[in-house]
Amino acid sequence: MALRDQLRIMVVDDMSTSRGLITQALDSFGIRNVASTDNGATALKAMETAPVHLVISDYNMPEMDGLKLLQSLRTAPKTKGVGFILITGRAERQIIEYGKKLGMNNFLKKPFDPNDLRKCIEAVVGRL
Amino acid sequence: MSDANDPMAEIRASFFIECEELMEAMQDGLTTLDEGDDDPETINVVFRAVHSIKGGAGAFGLEALVRFAHRYETALDDVRSNKFTPDADAMRLFFSCADHLSDLIRVCRDDDAIPDDRSAELLAQLDTLLGGAAEEEEEVSADDFEPMGVSISLDLDGLGDLPPLDFDVDDAAPMDETPCYHIRFKPEQEMFETGNEPQMLLRNLAALGEATIECDLRDLPPLEALAAETSYLSWDITLIADVDEAEIREIFEFVDGLCELSVRRAGSDTDAPAVTAPIETSSDGFADLPEPPATVPDDPDVPVAAAPAPVAAALAPSAPSAAPAPEEKTARKPAPAKAAGAAANGPKSVVRVDLERIERLVNLVGELVINQAMLSQSLEQAGLSPHSDAMNGLEEFQRLTRDIQDSVMMIRAQPVKSLFQRMSRIVRESSAGVGKNVRLVTVGEGTEVDKTVIERLADPLTHMIRNAVDHGLESTEDRRAAGKSAEGIVTLSAAHRSGRVIIEVSDDGAGINRKRVLEIATNKGLVPADASLTDSDIDNLLFAPGFSTASEVSDLSGRGVGMDVVKTAIQSLGGRITITSEAGKGTKFSISLPLTLAVLDGMVVNVADETLVVPLNVVVETLSLGAADVEMLRPGKYIVRVRGEFVPLFDLGVELGYREARDSYVGAIVLLIAYEDGARAALIIDGIQDQRQVVIKGLDDSFFRAPGIAAATILGDGQIALILDPADIIAEASGASRTEALSA
Repeated sequence: MALRDQLRIMVVDDMSTSRGLITQALDSFGIRNVASTDNGATALKAMETAPVHLVISDYNMPEMDGLKLLQSLRTAPKTKGVGFILITGRAERQIIEYGKKLGMNNFLKKPFDPNDLRKCIEAVVGRL
Repeated sequence: MSDANDPMAEIRASFFIECEELMEAMQDGLTTLDEGDDDPETINVVFRAVHSIKGGAGAFGLEALVRFAHRYETALDDVRSNKFTPDADAMRLFFSCADHLSDLIRVCRDDDAIPDDRSAELLAQLDTLLGGAAEEEEEVSADDFEPMGVSISLDLDGLGDLPPLDFDVDDAAPMDETPCYHIRFKPEQEMFETGNEPQMLLRNLAALGEATIECDLRDLPPLEALAAETSYLSWDITLIADVDEAEIREIFEFVDGLCELSVRRAGSDTDAPAVTAPIETSSDGFADLPEPPATVPDDPDVPVAAAPAPVAAALAPSAPSAAPAPEEKTARKPAPAKAAGAAANGPKSVVRVDLERIERLVNLVGELVINQAMLSQSLEQAGLSPHSDAMNGLEEFQRLTRDIQDSVMMIRAQPVKSLFQRMSRIVRESSAGVGKNVRLVTVGEGTEVDKTVIERLADPLTHMIRNAVDHGLESTEDRRAAGKSAEGIVTLSAAHRSGRVIIEVSDDGAGINRKRVLEIATNKGLVPADASLTDSDIDNLLFAPGFSTASEVSDLSGRGVGMDVVKTAIQSLGGRITITSEAGKGTKFSISLPLTLAVLDGMVVNVADETLVVPLNVVVETLSLGAADVEMLRPGKYIVRVRGEFVPLFDLGVELGYREARDSYVGAIVLLIAYEDGARAALIIDGIQDQRQVVIKGLDDSFFRAPGIAAATILGDGQIALILDPADIIAEASGASRTEALSA
């Protein structure tokens, strides 16, 4: 019984291609409990009824960007302990540091290969 | 083509489709910006589109695309952060970059050669504009960041203590639930006899809340068996209203005993259809996920499925507590995570379907239409009474076939927006090429047209737009001299009109120089030197093969194709093109196209023992000729008087070469044909068989294009019939008679 069998992940990205790439990679790691959505608001709502262990979110999204989502997660009692990985095209110091302040667990710069994603996840939750 | 089994190839293919959507959003954003919009969200949308394209391109190793998008994105970022305010020149460059980005996407998709020169040129221009390559913001490398683990210990026993799973049921927001009632109401005969009106009762009921009312017609007998005094109808009402049952019954107080009434609150028994709550649960996409156990049993060998699932148990009450149909929820097969993800994408869900599958469906529906025609023909021949069950059933079948056909055609329909956006690029490029200041105005971008029509319109429209910019609009100096604004306007519009799509390209230029056109046509021998032509005749010379007005072949429209090619392209789509022009005001080309290329409503007629189909939408009237109606202008040339108006008369049999002209046409059957440009003509036929839908079967290229013949079809009895293009026949006939007249 490995961690990957139990880990529940929420993928948030406004671009369906990115969602596809991430879920495809997670699938290749054997992680089956993956949900995805194209915006932060839906993600928050969904997590109320179906909690997850880890959120993997894009930074640059309309309406609610990845860090605003993180902020909301950290302020709600039900989700404040959830793991959070930010995926970003530009790892600007300002963004990363603000993320760190908000309690971001890790980040990953685009483009990435599945192995990068795996390492990034394992650094947060442990060996898959 | 992508390999369906390779998920990466599939994602790559979907990336390019997504790029098209992003490019569309980007074009929209740039246009809005160009119009002076300063909403920060507009530039954000443009920036995000480029950013997303870059991100996706990176994942597939499309380096050239990434490089260009990156620099473009940086420039847009400067605008976004108010470091740079774009002027008209900058906006033009941004548009050019967007166009180039779209080209890059296309060559990447098709694995074509990358136009690096163009990239370099535009990148250099961006550098000039924004003052050298922007210095890259320092990025944080992954090594500089200390990842923060969450408390998922490798010791899986600890998993149960995970914060997210340890969530408090009491926190779940209570569902506010309005009661839902199912009401069945069947009036007895006496209720009608006492003058009570069911409609009134239903209206009062609906006033209580949100009501869905369905009339149950099951007991309704066929017309011949109907007894006018008997009550056959009953109603099923679903009412969502914050009322109690007594309030509902109160409405029916006065008809108590005169009707059957049942009121049942949904959720009060198990067979009640789930109305509110369960839909809510599944639409978030998570209720269907297989629940992993929150705690792991002490014995690690116990399979997961057998483990107790406290999470599921904990979740159940958090889902709407009054969920009326828990059986349905748990009985449903756990959906794979992917499907759940798709459902989570919000209410507007879109399915991407291979076009081939749709084509197949369209073809099958075509066959269905033919089959249904055959069936109705054999049933008629079998001599069944029109009131028989079989004939009634057939009628229903016909209606269904038509509905299915309409729905299938809807699948293929697309807004013309993408096509229009491509045209705005054509305007930008062609106006820059001839040094004119041109603005494209688009109207009716949301008009939906068959996808194939849209694709095949691109070339003719491109040519027409170039023509409008190049020839239609005057030079800036001439415009000023004529007292017009320096900026020329080309308008591209689309609209649905009487079952067809009308697309118009107009300019506010000088109008057609008829003197010049006639001169050229005469010089080229297209018309005799002494021809007397109407303005409209002269305008239509633009469509004559071999005609080209550009005295010096310009860089744009003079590409060896003339308007005759445009006309042929439009005709091959079952469309027509007309031209109107006013001196000093401009020129308008109007294209009228069928909504679909697959099926048409036709009138099946006989001419000289041939069976032919005439598109029904151009037939306005059928009449029988009386002796007083026909007037002969000269032998072989007739006109007919229709309600005081004279309309040219043509014998279809003669025009198609089936037979010689008759001596007299008194008593002949005539189809009155009219087009939206006002052209009218009367066609003599021998008889009308039927009106029906026919499936258009295109004529193979190996057939010589016969004037007046649009396509072919298969009729109900398996016979093949030609579909006519009356406009073409009339044009041929009047053209022929005109040249005759001119040479006479």
